[in-house]
Amino acid sequence: MITNFISMNGDGLFVWLSFGVTIFACLVVYIKTKKTLNKYEKEFVEEIEKLSVVERKKVLEKSKIATQVLTSQSKSA
Amino acid sequence: MLNLVSPSNIYFILEKIIKFINSIFFLILLISLTFALILSPPDYLQGDSVRIMYVHVPSAWIALACYTSIAFLSILNFIFKIKNFFLINKSIAPIGLLFTCLAVVTGSIWGQPTWGTWWEWDARLTSMLVLMFFYIGYILAIKTIKNESFAIKISSIIAIVGMINIPIIKYSVDWWNTLHQPASIRLTGSSSIHTSMLMPLLLMLLVLLLYSALIFLMKYKTEIIRMKKKNIKRL
Repeated sequence: MITNFISMNGDGLFVWLSFGVTIFACLVVYIKTKKTLNKYEKEFVEEIEKLSVVERKKVLEKSKIATQVLTSQSKSA
Repeated sequence: MLNLVSPSNIYFILEKIIKFINSIFFLILLISLTFALILSPPDYLQGDSVRIMYVHVPSAWIALACYTSIAFLSILNFIFKIKNFFLINKSIAPIGLLFTCLAVVTGSIWGQPTWGTWWEWDARLTSMLVLMFFYIGYILAIKTIKNESFAIKISSIIAIVGMINIPIIKYSVDWWNTLHQPASIRLTGSSSIHTSMLMPLLLMLLVLLLYSALIFLMKYKTEIIRMKKKNIKRL
């Protein structure tokens, strides 16, 4: 039964290859996208932390998104 | 509630949607794969190779939908000069390219058992390949042109010119004699696909749409941070 499922009456190679290529490509893109996002989030937080207290306050007051990035980073840390 | 949907809360909203998609994704993927690989019947002519349809067709649909969205937003960007549209397009383009490549590759794999060839320069296959080149051109324009406003202009022109190719892809099977079969599913009129095959097809479409949404949201978040990073430097 398992052999039949894998061979799919001779079409198994093509079916598994199609699904395999799709899953592999999607996985690679997912990992790469997630890594890039994490890298940018980390760099952004580091840049904010480099600022002086006054500058940091100014940035956080001006940009609510900056505060949200900081919050989400501190949650995941 | 109103406060939650304000533009300044966009980052939190994106994060919540990403978490939600992550939480349901694997369950839907598992159900869809079970339907596509086990429960759906083989075709009376093509046998089990018909299962390739469950990744090939949704990939092609998403590729076309992404390009249409990019072209539409590019037109709006030309008229209203809203930078957010460019950020959205920048986040959609890699997804479109991925699914165009997948549609071409899985189509080629499907061609071998059904037509006896991996590739044929027929209208549908060639027009999909042209779409892939438009995607590559669009992404290269964004990545290589340093001046942002010029990059927006050139990429928008590529997107709008490439829009001509979309109806060619859609109607290529009706306009020319091609190896590719005509559309089995029609939004207007009756579809020639049986429910036992339509169900896994729609489930796989849902999975790939959820995946696209996930990638789009992560890329869009990256673009927002990149923009904010530039703003810090300006301050």
